[in-house]
Amino acid sequence: MSVGFKDYYEVLGVPRDASSDEIRRAYRKLARQYHPDISQESDAEDRFKEVGEAYEVLSDPEKRERYDRLGDQQRAGGEAPDMSDFEDLFGRGGFGSDVRVEFGEGGFSDFFERWFGDGAGVADAGPLRGRDREAVLELSLEESLAGGRRRLSLDDGESFEVEIPPEVREGQRIRIAGKGAAGRGGGPAGDLYLLVRLRPHPRFRREGDDLQVDLRVAPWEAALGATVPVPTLSGTAQVRVPAGSSSGRRLRLRGRGLPARGGGRGNLYATVQVAVPKELSDEQRELFEKLAAASDFDPRGSGR
Amino acid sequence: MSTRRTPPRATEEVAVEEAVELTVVARQAGVRIALARRYLAFGLFDPCQGTSEAPLFAPTCSARLAKAERLRRDLSLNYAGAVLVCEMLDRIRELEDRLAGSR
Repeated sequence: MSVGFKDYYEVLGVPRDASSDEIRRAYRKLARQYHPDISQESDAEDRFKEVGEAYEVLSDPEKRERYDRLGDQQRAGGEAPDMSDFEDLFGRGGFGSDVRVEFGEGGFSDFFERWFGDGAGVADAGPLRGRDREAVLELSLEESLAGGRRRLSLDDGESFEVEIPPEVREGQRIRIAGKGAAGRGGGPAGDLYLLVRLRPHPRFRREGDDLQVDLRVAPWEAALGATVPVPTLSGTAQVRVPAGSSSGRRLRLRGRGLPARGGGRGNLYATVQVAVPKELSDEQRELFEKLAAASDFDPRGSGR
Repeated sequence: MSTRRTPPRATEEVAVEEAVELTVVARQAGVRIALARRYLAFGLFDPCQGTSEAPLFAPTCSARLAKAERLRRDLSLNYAGAVLVCEMLDRIRELEDRLAGSR
């Protein structure tokens, strides 16, 4: 089996002849930079593990010497030599360590486990709960209202279904117990927090907990009044358009908006938009002309 | 990972959950009670309910306790340093949230 060679000097950003002090300083700086509880970079955890692995080897004089010889062989032969050859040459296992970094299961790379796995002790180990994780959960307005099952895929490739409760709000954090990072040393896993983000809706506009929707009505409905259907998040409602409604008039449907903080729901506001037919039949044209002749309404005047 | 038959249910922010004793905080954090007491003495978290003889803590304290301990172990910090880092991270998050909200 061939395991790709890892350049630990490059990982720590130090030259091959770096002193132990230089290696320690580089490690500490990078560990602070990439610690998963500090960094928000998506690859922080992988980088942190990589840095810890590099330090585990380069901070131990004996392991470093083995690693340097391995590197020489790798450069000469193109890839890491076979494990059995390596064991014949240098023996195996039994190295102490003052490295403080510790990881959950699978924390070190295959390369490390193959060449330095035995004796890679960790100081101050003990059970510890894993880190909480956070992911953005995008929902449509309808989904935020109704809830339901959703399949989630996280950055690390894990995929599972969760039951989203009904009536969740923008910015709400919902917790899924035990789906955070794995614990260490047998400690419990952390939790996963889902940050709710509501997707823009093709029909409804959000205004806090309220929703806005355009309500297209015919000129005669606007003038005479009518009861017309208006779309809501959960279906259709009937709304009474008062006689004499011009475009822009807002009709309130109480409690048909989004879930509100502290309970209840916001309102749905339907804004009247008077729509006219693009084409008129001869009869319709004649009727409109009669209306125009009979009307003294001036939409641009002061009495509109 | 295979799909679970009974999917885990997402629950409301844990602030609405019941306050718990320090032993529960320690157990949920995966640490010994003595360590939880030490962080309590350093002011990592405070009781939210109960009495001085029987204090109760928000369930979120377990995640905070584990975070402080990870930082302490991984970065060779002392207890006061780990608590300080947690407080600074909280402050940064608060400012980032406020910044995001003002955009």
